[in-house]
Amino acid sequence: MPRVTTQNFFPASVLAVQNAQLQEALRRAGSGFDGARREAIEEVGQGSWDKWREEARQIKVHTLEHLDYYLELLAENVERAGGHVHFAKDAAQANAIVAELATSRRVKVAVKSKSMVSEELNLNEVLEENGVDVYETDLGEYIIQLAGETPSHLVAPALHKTKEEVAQLLHQKLGVPLTDDIEAMARVARDVLRDKFFQADLGISGANFLVAETGTLVIITNEGNGRLCTSAPPIHIGITGMEKVIPSLQDLAVFLRLLPRSATGQPLTSYVSMVSGPRRDGDEDGPEEFHLVLVDNGRSRLLADPDLRESLNCIRCGACLNICPVYQKVGGHAYGWVYPGPIGAVISPTLVGLKQAKDLPFASSLCGACREVCPVKINIPRMLLHQRHLLSESPDPAERSVTLSESLLARLFTIVMSKPTLLAAARKLVRLLARPWARNGTVRRAPLPPASRWTHQRDLPALPTRSFRDLWKQDLASSDRVTDGRDSDSGVSPTGSSEDPSPNRSEDG
Amino acid sequence: MVEHLETPREEFLASVRQALGRSAASPPVPPYPRLEESLADLETLERDLLARLETGRDARLEALAQTAARRGWNVKRAPDPEEALGYLDSVVTQLGVKRAVRSAEAVFQQLAVDSILQRLGIETTIIARDETGSDENRSGAALRQEMIDADIGITGADYAVTETGSVVVLPRAGLSRLVSLAPPVHLALVRPQDVVDTLDDVFLLRRLDYYRNGGDMGSYLNFITGPSRTADIEQTLVVGVHGPKEVHMIILG
Ligand code: SF4
Repeated sequence: MPRVTTQNFFPASVLAVQNAQLQEALRRAGSGFDGARREAIEEVGQGSWDKWREEARQIKVHTLEHLDYYLELLAENVERAGGHVHFAKDAAQANAIVAELATSRRVKVAVKSKSMVSEELNLNEVLEENGVDVYETDLGEYIIQLAGETPSHLVAPALHKTKEEVAQLLHQKLGVPLTDDIEAMARVARDVLRDKFFQADLGISGANFLVAETGTLVIITNEGNGRLCTSAPPIHIGITGMEKVIPSLQDLAVFLRLLPRSATGQPLTSYVSMVSGPRRDGDEDGPEEFHLVLVDNGRSRLLADPDLRESLNCIRCGACLNICPVYQKVGGHAYGWVYPGPIGAVISPTLVGLKQAKDLPFASSLCGACREVCPVKINIPRMLLHQRHLLSESPDPAERSVTLSESLLARLFTIVMSKPTLLAAARKLVRLLARPWARNGTVRRAPLPPASRWTHQRDLPALPTRSFRDLWKQDLASSDRVTDGRDSDSGVSPTGSSEDPSPNRSEDG
Repeated sequence: MVEHLETPREEFLASVRQALGRSAASPPVPPYPRLEESLADLETLERDLLARLETGRDARLEALAQTAARRGWNVKRAPDPEEALGYLDSVVTQLGVKRAVRSAEAVFQQLAVDSILQRLGIETTIIARDETGSDENRSGAALRQEMIDADIGITGADYAVTETGSVVVLPRAGLSRLVSLAPPVHLALVRPQDVVDTLDDVFLLRRLDYYRNGGDMGSYLNFITGPSRTADIEQTLVVGVHGPKEVHMIILG
């Protein structure tokens, strides 16, 4: 499976909409997560919720502003606890570090709990190349590993699969009987993986948070696989993005209140596990070695851009995916990389390169729902607009998102809009030109872009023969009121904004 | 060694600094308030916390029972030891438990769990170096196997949290990480004095331990909030994936 296909968002989303199985999976997922999230917020009250969001945002903003300081503090305290810290500037380094740790310790079997960063790095493939059998142990991750796919959601990696597909997959790959009992499917995974936890020479986890004050890695899970991965094997490697750090242990409380509620509507997940170094002398068990790999891999570019920095606040709760009308229609894979949905559309272009992902900032209707649900108040629509701006102004033609005709059209539009008389003339012209294409009040197929791009998917309402302004003027005249002599085009009438949509504007969707 | 493969720390931090538009390391000004707190400050906060916990004990235990039940625990309030042991008896009998593991913690000195298990003929493994010294001639692998094979794991709780209905366990000597994880059933014994109100309370107390022990608060900490669960297939809840399917909380008060 190709790693980065962000450049194909539009064709991939057309295929996604036509994919009946995916549409069924998305339909069944429905608004389950979002509904649970709403209920959880209702339970604590909007007032507390907003207070927590603001507190969390401020902690994140502060930490990122001083990220160098907190990373150093974190590293010192991980080492004080007996762990090792490795810094990786890119995916190649991060993979090489983990591969070297694995091979030098003759690791044959590794178990992993869910880590989006390892998906970003393609770590499994590198470990397999080095002779390590890697087992994903989160149920959703296990399913997609069996299927040879990538996650389609930040929290529920196999959201794109129906239970029938999962049953088929388990039947084909493991030879178990077909069933439609979801509990039985989960039990299969449990039985297969149980031995692996105890055979494994290495456990790999991500991190939801890193506490600088105490050098602690925090993972938030429901299944118990995270606990097993960090407890049973003799070595534990935590691998994560450098932005996960928070200053104090006491800062953790607010994030524990926000993250599970935003993700699945749970007041707290079944487990929160906090790792501070390897087992101590006298501990009954636990890994003898603990390594923390801190990954940049493009994050410093997000950090350096004041307009995009707040994207690093993200705690990967998935709430913005669950509310996004685009994600809900096309699913996660269309976005072409590990981070789907609104937040993916923001960070992928910077992480994989603007050129590679120039459709993504347009994978949004800018409705603003993502911003409203985000537990750390990230203004995603603002950043999408910023990316669109970067793309349209880029001096590099390969990056530029707008075609020559579009930019000419936009320029023409600006000129027309700034001259009332031109606008009046243009309106008449468009009305005249559009007339032959209208049938029974709709335009089914427009001849030219951008109108043709609209009618490719749906009908365009035909322009009425007489414009609102004409009617308004006539009405004023017939009711015998004295007009002030102004051309109605020059002033903004109270309802002026409801003017017939010009075909130019339909482009924005 | 892997040093040659990584970015040297100073170089990495310098690149972060560069992204932030700074050329030299500079700690936050003003400093982050929570990281400025001294041990004495934290002790003052602890005194307030302990004073708060002195009051309204029964209401707190009741609140814990209610929240924990909502999070999927089977909760039993047992003000006297007989009740607690009676509940334990009924749980293991109903489950048909043959093998049990338990941690070695103070709570087991106050509650005669072993005698009940013995009377019922349940083979019991005690993770105990300090109590009986019997661990000496048992290998780590054998002990692990006993935990994997056990039908129930019994532990105390370092804290229980009213806000979330969680039990917090701190693995250490006498408390394997696996007792509350590997067996299909976990039973936690909660002493009233270990019940706190909020997550903030737990983290304050852990920070205190950290500073009192010269920068060490132990290798591991787990919040356990109900049974193991997943909703990874069609968002349908399944209980008991890799961890216990059934969890019991006995509140000794
Ligand atoms: S951007 Fe906000 S809502 Fe979206 S995943 Fe990140 S934290 Fe959650």
